[in-house]
Amino acid sequence: MGRPRGFDEATVVRSAAELFSTRSYDGISMDDLVTHLGVHRNSLYKTFGSKRGLYLVALRWSLRHHIAPLVDRVAAAGDLAGALRVALGEPATEAGLNLLLMAAVERAPVDPEVADELAPVLAAFDQAARTAAGRHPDRDEQDDDGVALALTATILGLRLRARAGTPGTTIDQAGAALAHRLTRHT
Amino acid sequence: MAEISIDGDNLVVEIEGLDKLWALKSRLVIPLANVRGATADPGAVAGFKGLRAPGTHIPGVITAGTFHLDGEKVFWDVHDPVKAVVIALADERYARLVVEVADPRATVALIEQATTVR
Repeated sequence: MGRPRGFDEATVVRSAAELFSTRSYDGISMDDLVTHLGVHRNSLYKTFGSKRGLYLVALRWSLRHHIAPLVDRVAAAGDLAGALRVALGEPATEAGLNLLLMAAVERAPVDPEVADELAPVLAAFDQAARTAAGRHPDRDEQDDDGVALALTATILGLRLRARAGTPGTTIDQAGAALAHRLTRHT
Repeated sequence: MAEISIDGDNLVVEIEGLDKLWALKSRLVIPLANVRGATADPGAVAGFKGLRAPGTHIPGVITAGTFHLDGEKVFWDVHDPVKAVVIALADERYARLVVEVADPRATVALIEQATTVR
């Protein structure tokens, strides 16, 4: 239909990404979306086709606007300690990492399109961690790959602990302690 | 109530029993390429449905037939709102189908699986 949509699609997608980062996909009804986004049900169907359609658009938005910049900052952090600080210290990255976690646990196993969205992002995350860790003459490449994977897993794991209620200071301390160990032993 | 199945490249919606009479339709065949998605949506029935023509609407009992809303046609066949599934279409006579099915979650999974391209 040629009529204007009557709502700002970008704002709606951002709000949806926030909502999907706080509650399970199955736990969010169309009624919840209508209420939370302030958009008529018919407009949501007209624009996104389904709840899953909206979810995919919101996930892609978050991966592009939350996770991609974070990956860039991790890569530019200089060392492992810096990478952990960047990934754990910025409140703006919380929503993006939360949605990434939820998507990996809840949707990727049952929705191939979600799995396809996450795979390159996680690979980019590993690559960024590898860049941050730097090349070390005493380590072989396999070692570097292992450290990169472990760092990404640590970042996501600490975010998971934060979601489960572990205080922010403890998370920061854990990140700092690990970075200290890693740096000392390399 | 409707029975939803996939037949080759088509989504087939069979309207069951007396609902054929109320909805004035017994079967819809939609190419999967024109199916945008499906959502289990118990709240769909509570909203404004637009103008009915033709069909049957007894609030709280049955919503069946073709309804016109915002320049779009929506096909309804729902007694029990809890089991309503909204199927969004493109390039079809109907913009959406809102039908009652036995297992909304399984129906949504069936349609999503059939329409997801890898």
